[in-house]
Order: sequence, then structure tokens, then C-alpha cells
Amino acid sequence: MFAGFFIVLCLLGGCVSLPQTEALARAGGGGLPQRAELVAVPFFAQEDYQCGPAALAMALNAAGVAVAPGSLTDEVYVPARKGSLQVEMLAGARRHGLLAYELAPELKDVLAEVAAGNAVIVLQNLGLFASRPYWHYAVIIGYDLQTKEIFLHSGATARRAMKFGLFEFLWLDGGRWSMVALAPGRLPASAHEERMATAAAALERTGHAAEAHLAYTALLQRWPDSLVGWMGLGNTAYALGQSAEAEAAFRKATTAHPLAAAAFNNLAQVLAEQGKPEAALEAARHAVNLGGASLPAAQATLEQLLGQRH
Amino acid sequence: MKTALARQLCRVLILCLGALPFGAYAGMIGTDQVAATVQAQGARDQLREILSRSEVRDQLQNLGIDRNAAQARVTAMTDAEVGRIAGRIDSLPAGGFSGAAALAGLIVVELIWYYWVR
Repeated sequence: MFAGFFIVLCLLGGCVSLPQTEALARAGGGGLPQRAELVAVPFFAQEDYQCGPAALAMALNAAGVAVAPGSLTDEVYVPARKGSLQVEMLAGARRHGLLAYELAPELKDVLAEVAAGNAVIVLQNLGLFASRPYWHYAVIIGYDLQTKEIFLHSGATARRAMKFGLFEFLWLDGGRWSMVALAPGRLPASAHEERMATAAAALERTGHAAEAHLAYTALLQRWPDSLVGWMGLGNTAYALGQSAEAEAAFRKATTAHPLAAAAFNNLAQVLAEQGKPEAALEAARHAVNLGGASLPAAQATLEQLLGQRH
Repeated sequence: MKTALARQLCRVLILCLGALPFGAYAGMIGTDQVAATVQAQGARDQLREILSRSEVRDQLQNLGIDRNAAQARVTAMTDAEVGRIAGRIDSLPAGGFSGAAALAGLIVVELIWYYWVR
């Protein structure tokens, strides 16, 4: 057993490289505040194998959704695997009306989220070997650039301090995976446009139209030309019975993206419902002319409108 | 498109996609379909992901989750997420390592860290 440790030590001494920790040290923090700590993130000690529900509960509570780990077991725990899958952690947050956003695999992005007040769920391999992983979820609640430490709620320990290097080492094997669960009007501090669009569309998909509407609004404030943003804003407004707002959003989509047949199609539908049949037909014809992946839907819309004319 | 057959297959796939209820409302094209198009997901990938949903639901049931809960969980996943896990739920990382053992393991790793690696 002890011989095994020595072998591992030699391997670790030779093979460990922690590029993100080193880059952070070289950049001197790169514009991040020196330290940040989220004292409002509650700590839930995990039950056996239930670090998924515990970590998710901490993030949800921090974002304003009061839920206990026990009630998340049915949503994210897989009995035969004795654990929780990453995509289910994202889906679990979404089901409670929060924006579930998967971060880029960058330590600086994780720290930027914490600095902005967002708790981060991370996946760690606590085993010694990548080939025999022991996967674990923990919640990042703070960091200190001076002492080079990160603070986590993990397992049975609240506010465990860990050096950045050790953190990166434990984080590597899971692809440096992390996520945030945010109140829907908030944009992640490290948000990228495409990931944000995906996250907002995913929230809309679960039926949380009002929350998704807020997410699209935030997306558009930062990326005013986003096609997904305008389509999402229009579709959620439509779902909420706000026809005029839906029409305005689809019009903006057609202006910013004149080749987006889907925008013309949805505009046609909304115009028809608002009793503007000629404008609707014009938009529907335009959608059909643009072709592309939306063609079947656009043709169906045009036929429906022509049928209604008689 | 290299062959007439390939073109025909694509036409069939596009028609299949068109026939499936993408928008929650009749006639409206859903935002997630727009997102998939913007992110240049191929028609074939999209179709495969749709077909994987019931597969993933069944897989979750086999792993000890009751049918209604499994259905609700799959419904909350995006098509891309379903595609990521279909057929791989047995092997993907499942975070859950138990507290006491995790602590012991972590102490060992930390000792190795402080005395030998740093």
C-alpha cells in the first residue's frame, strides 16, 4: 500500500502540470478582485452519495430558490450509479426556473463568477488516479488571490480552503467542468454568446416562459443582434399572450437577420393572429422564398394563411 | 452532395424534421430549433437527438428511476444534452463520492501535494 503511494508520488512529481494556476499567478489575478467570499451560500452536508443534490441545493438556495437536498434526489440522483450526472445537474437547476449555464473550462472564469456573487458547482475527481475516478460535486464560495486559495462547501465540510493548484489537479479529470445556476435576469460574469443563447433556450424549453423571457432580455442587452435572443424574446412573449411584444421582437429579428426564414415565419403567425392578414401573407411568402431548414414550417404557414383567406 | 441518393436522404430528413412538432405552438418555429440552426447542427444530428429521448428515458428507468420521474428528467434536457448521454449513462462521471471516504482520500492527496509536488 505504502509502496503504491511512493510510485504515485514519483508519477505526480513528473507529470503534474497546472497551466491555469500558473497562468493566474503570472497574470497577477488579471483584473479580478483580490478576494471574494459569498457568505450567503448555505451549507448542506451531503448524505452518502448525495453530493449532487447537496451541491445543487446550495446553488439553488443561493439564487433564491428555497429547496432542501432531499427533494432534489428524485431529480438528479441515479441510484444504480450512486451519483448524479452533469447534464442532470444543469437540467435540475432549469426545472426550478433558474438559468443553468455551463462555464468554459477556465479557472479564471470560475473566479470571475464568484467575484460577481455567483456560487459555482464544480466536478472533482477525488481519487488518486484518472483511471479509477471518484467523482464528487462541490460548491465554490470564495477565493483569495494572495494566499492562492479557493474556498469550497464540500462533503461534510463547510468553507474548506484549498490551494488553487490542488483544486486544478482535482478538477482536471472531469474536463474542468463547472456550472452556475442564476436568477433568470442575470447574465453569468463569464458569459459567451452562444452558450448563453443555448442556456436561455433550454430554460424556455422547460416551460418557464417568463423566466426565459428575462434571460433573453439579458442576452440581448449584451448582444443586441442575437437571432436566438430576438426569436426567444418573441416566442416567450407569444407564450405569455403578449402578441404586440412578440410582433416587435420578430420584426427586430427580421431586421437584424434578413435571411432568417424562421423570423419571417413566426412574424407571419403573430400578424395573422392580430388580424393583419395581408402583412401576414407577405411575411409568410418571404419566409418560403428564403428556404432553408424552416421551409416545411414556412410552407405550412403560407398554406394555412391562404386557406384562411377564402 | 455526392449522389442522388444522398440528396434524397437529406430531403427525407428535412421533411421529417418539418413534420415533427418543434414549436410549442402550431406554426411557430421554436427557439431551440433556431439555436440549433445558428450553431450549425446538421439535420442528421438533430434527428438522432430527437430519437434518443425515449432511449435515455428507458436507460434511466433501468438504473432505478421510476418511469414518471425519468420522463420528467429527460424532458428537462436539451436535445444536445440527451445526445451527450444516450448510451453512455453507465460510464459518464456520476458525482456522489461519499463524505467520509472522500475526506480520507482528499487528506492523502493533500499530503502528497504539500510534501512532494509543490
